[in-house]
Amino acid sequence: MATTVGSADEDGDGGRAGTDALGRGDEDGGRAGVRAAGSRAGAAAHRRRRRQTVVAYLFLTPSLLFFAIFLFLPLLFAVLLSLSRWAGFDLADIRPVGTENFAALFARGSSFLTPVLSNTLLYALGTVVLALTGAVLVAHCITNLRFQGLWRTLYFLPIVTTVVAVGNVWKYMYEPGGLVNGVLNALGLRSVAFLQDPATALPSIVVVQAWASLGSAILVLTAGLKAIPRSYYEAAELDGAGQFTVFTRITLPLLRPSLLFVCVTQFITGLQSFALITVMTGEGGPGDATSVAALEMYQRAFKYGDWGSASAAALVLFVLILVITLVQLWLFRRKGEDA
Amino acid sequence: MRRRRRFPWLSYLLVGVGAVVTVVPFLDMLLTSFKGAGEYGRLPYRFLPEAFELSNYREAFVRLDLPLLFRNSVVATAVITGSVLLTSSLAGYALAKLRFPGRDLIFRLVLATMMFPPFVFFIPHFLILVHWPLAGGNGPLGDGGAGLTVSLAALVMPFLVSGFGIFLMRQFIVSVPDEMLEAARIDGAGEFTVWWRIVVPQTKPVAVTLALLTFVSAWNEYIWALLVSTANPRLMTLPVGIQTLQSYLDPNRMVPVMMAGLMMSVLPVLLLFLLLQKYYIRGVMLSGLK
Repeated sequence: MATTVGSADEDGDGGRAGTDALGRGDEDGGRAGVRAAGSRAGAAAHRRRRRQTVVAYLFLTPSLLFFAIFLFLPLLFAVLLSLSRWAGFDLADIRPVGTENFAALFARGSSFLTPVLSNTLLYALGTVVLALTGAVLVAHCITNLRFQGLWRTLYFLPIVTTVVAVGNVWKYMYEPGGLVNGVLNALGLRSVAFLQDPATALPSIVVVQAWASLGSAILVLTAGLKAIPRSYYEAAELDGAGQFTVFTRITLPLLRPSLLFVCVTQFITGLQSFALITVMTGEGGPGDATSVAALEMYQRAFKYGDWGSASAAALVLFVLILVITLVQLWLFRRKGEDA
Repeated sequence: MRRRRRFPWLSYLLVGVGAVVTVVPFLDMLLTSFKGAGEYGRLPYRFLPEAFELSNYREAFVRLDLPLLFRNSVVATAVITGSVLLTSSLAGYALAKLRFPGRDLIFRLVLATMMFPPFVFFIPHFLILVHWPLAGGNGPLGDGGAGLTVSLAALVMPFLVSGFGIFLMRQFIVSVPDEMLEAARIDGAGEFTVWWRIVVPQTKPVAVTLALLTFVSAWNEYIWALLVSTANPRLMTLPVGIQTLQSYLDPNRMVPVMMAGLMMSVLPVLLLFLLLQKYYIRGVMLSGLK
């Protein structure tokens, strides 16, 4: 993924074959020339590569060890549960049921595909689009302003504001007598029952979720903007490039690694979060208009004591998130060398 | 970008309007913490309290064992933040700049660590800590005692490494110019020196970002801390303590007192953010590069 352009990289050994099979089809052919460039340089390069491999695994050891214990083991447990029936108390009570849980999720009349999964996707997609656009605009605009520290502090507030306060304030703003309808009425428009109407409930919460994720996205993008060398902007200014050109030709392309990060992590958050929904609509109402996958799983596990089907749903959601993430990595890579 | 002839009124308008919407819920949290009994949630909604009641703060102060809660929260948050920064930067460097077999697989694995709904992990994590070998009275096979669940380690163990953090650091270390790293290597620097002398200083703004985000999420972490402190009340953290206020109070006063508790727990985070602001003022300088 990170075929860094111009790196002094001699691909001397065959040790990469394993990773090449894992979908780095974009490895440029130019490297083959380097590979054939003679065995004198090859021996030194070989030694160096060996050393880099050792160092890399040394640097990764703490993380890999942690993931082995706190991720891999729990996942095995989750897979086991997804094929069983378990009420969540005594480990001796786990009863294997085969693929029954999965079959039930996708059975005719099951609410899992629609509206639960479709709501989840809409929720995540809406959040990402709104939050990303807003964050890019604000992070970029802040660099134009005076008192940047003040503005950044204000935009940091959503991160420390509890979701209960966020949800409740917006809930009251959406009420018939609330601020939003007040504005609509002043413009001569009719009141909207934002959270009570099944058609508007989900989009209304999407706006709030996007707003709530703005803070961390801005933090990351600000760090990204700060990492762009100032000399590029000075050069562009000398060439007489307009503001818009500078933004689309310099800022956006160089921001790509942090944009990818925000995009991927916001999507994952959007697909997994439900705290705001419980604050604003209780259990996903009206009807199941705002019912999302994570809420559904949480209720199955902790409320109905059905850990089997909750784990099965979690694994399905995992596969969905994995596919969406891989598509994003692929999209961002196709536009250039790395992200 | 910086020397602009015209006044950037459009930027001010956009950022300003956004900021108003950003501040209101926080202000509401603050104002609610001063509201009297039965005042919260009444319609039509009023932001200002009828009288500024300080009694909510007094109540939260008296009800909570603040020294214990603060100690647990501070220790857990500091250890988690330190560990996440260190492991993320090292792993991020390896994934961004070193070439080795298995790199792409490990990178995808790191991404995959974020993709599981967190609730899947609670029970297995607890079981793992209970059966941690040779700790808390356990034998080598992890039987016989309470394992790590009785110590402060229980609060931090499941959060010591973050896939989110590794991904973030990797995304920024990718942009560190290879020429700088090569120059250091030619001068005889080993990879650890390259990481410490070049990568770490070059990625300060993003490290600050990661520190803040990790700090906030560790500081506010609720569900795991609740689970652990149910087993051992001495491990209660601030968010858990504040939630326990719910069961003590009459419903009319509940939300304001909880908001008072939350304000007390938010202040250290805001303070930290203000202290770390200076790292955003100047970006990375590419002075080492000719």
